[in-house]
Amino acid sequence: MLIAPLLIAIPLAAAFLAPLVRLVSRRAVRFIPPVALLANLVLGVLLVPRALAEPIVVSIGGWRPPFCINLVVGPLGILLAVLTSLVGLLIAVYAVTYIRKEPSDRYHMLFLLLVTGATGAVLTGDIFNLFVFFEILCMASYALTAYRRDKGGTEAGFKYLVQGTVGSTLILIAIALVYGRFGTLNMADIADRVASVDSMSLFVILALFLVGFGVEAAIFPLNAWLPDAHSSAPASISAILSAIAIKVGVYAMARTTYTLFDTPGLWGFLCAIGVVTLVVGEVSAYRQREDVKRMLAYSSIGQIGLIVFAFGLATADGAFGGLFQLVNHALAKALLFLAVGYMIYKVGSKRLASLEGLGREMPVTCLACAVATFSLVGLPPFAGFMSKLSIVYAAVATDRPLVFALVVIVLAATVVEGGYFFRLIQTLYFRKRPNPRPVGEAPLSGLIPVVVLGVLIVVIGLFPQVLTPILRGGADELFHRADYVRYVLGAP
Amino acid sequence: MDLLGQSVYYVGAVALLLIGFYMVLVKANLIKIMLGISFLDTGVHVLLIAIGYVRGRTAPILSEAMRTSAGGGSPEVVDPVPQALVLTAIVIGIGVLALGLSIAVRVYEHYGTLDAREIRGLRC
Repeated sequence: MLIAPLLIAIPLAAAFLAPLVRLVSRRAVRFIPPVALLANLVLGVLLVPRALAEPIVVSIGGWRPPFCINLVVGPLGILLAVLTSLVGLLIAVYAVTYIRKEPSDRYHMLFLLLVTGATGAVLTGDIFNLFVFFEILCMASYALTAYRRDKGGTEAGFKYLVQGTVGSTLILIAIALVYGRFGTLNMADIADRVASVDSMSLFVILALFLVGFGVEAAIFPLNAWLPDAHSSAPASISAILSAIAIKVGVYAMARTTYTLFDTPGLWGFLCAIGVVTLVVGEVSAYRQREDVKRMLAYSSIGQIGLIVFAFGLATADGAFGGLFQLVNHALAKALLFLAVGYMIYKVGSKRLASLEGLGREMPVTCLACAVATFSLVGLPPFAGFMSKLSIVYAAVATDRPLVFALVVIVLAATVVEGGYFFRLIQTLYFRKRPNPRPVGEAPLSGLIPVVVLGVLIVVIGLFPQVLTPILRGGADELFHRADYVRYVLGAP
Repeated sequence: MDLLGQSVYYVGAVALLLIGFYMVLVKANLIKIMLGISFLDTGVHVLLIAIGYVRGRTAPILSEAMRTSAGGGSPEVVDPVPQALVLTAIVIGIGVLALGLSIAVRVYEHYGTLDAREIRGLRC
């Protein structure tokens, strides 16, 4: 029972250990995040079978829900927590040598706080606690975006901070209104009472939640901060922002829409906004011929649109596809940002043209890059093929004409996506290097995460059944509200 | 007049929120934008307190007044939960404000101005 809170406590404790360790040894600080997140990953994987069997409800402070702040470690929470630990661990390994700017203890502390926020937000069962963890996540991201203190980073960090804070304010207003209406902050308790009030009176609250979480999830038209922040941050931070931070926003949107307020009637709106986000993101990425990190950032917006579209279908199959795509995008986009990070470091420029012909120079990094792009485009046998297939399958199974029309747009957007990703591959492999100065392969700590992520993408693509039960459980948890309420509050 | 008297805290909260949104949306000076965010924070805090407020009751602190009233029935205090939320929200708000202002200082160092209209290094 006590293992679940450790998932949050370990990175939190390690975060504040970092400045203390720096007093003893400057070199040891960088090894704190990998060790802490490895412990987290092991604990998380150990919890998976138990969470799948029955959600683990942890009451903090000895009171029974709904009187305490509780953690709900269900399939959905544990899936996202393990994903956060896994991607976080690999990015932490990468950062061991990538982050050179002193004082690096601040970087490692903020990075661990970011992971704490993401893990806490997906595991908590209390709406205000969700807000607090969400704020920890956001504030760590603001600071890390501006970590290098360069011109672009500070400007992007400020933009991100202002937009994110306005979003957080809307969430807090929504929480105030929820408390005013229901007199409780426990998510299961709210879910239990939602049926007893007029659904129109919940409209404002849900709109505030969707806009507030939508800022962090970067759904159109709330995505203005993302291209700047993701392209100006250090590569390891771009990776964790794209892989984890925006996913927490999507998770919170899905949780409030389905589990909390039970409004599957919103499917038309969510599907449409998802497809608009997808098209805007992919077309912007295609037009981005100069800055390779900006191209990847726009591509993240597109992928988020696809995930929101899948969740918007309001069926368990749709959420299954959305979660699958979420996992795929987290692995592939983390890989791409990490791989591109060392390429940029080696050639000294973010311009796409300067990466020409690196395929010979950095064979392992570029091969992993190719795997990730093929997976994001959705080619078999990579993970992206299975996830896109399950989204299209779920969309067709809804039997709604509007969704059919939207699926056509989604597939067209995939072609655009293929266009710019193949341009990247072409640049890496089929162009001659203009200046034949040897650059050499990335160091070992930069290669390990990239290779592990690439192998995971292939393994998941070939054997999706390793992931299917937990994805299915997570999708069901969103829609089986009565079970969620029963597990948390006990039998009525 | 009586209606206004009853809902004066809500009116005040919404007024603060609107001032904050106006400043964040319209002002070009980065410091003024941060001030607008501060107004937004304060507005939400007042809103939270107003939701938990019960007319004529005292602060939810374990005191002599509370103990005597508890004997006769429910304690005569306002709802403590929103006040706990506001304490948390104040801390978060201060953190965001400090971070935002320090980033604004860095922006000023790079661009030599705080006018958002002149800071457009990242536009593409």
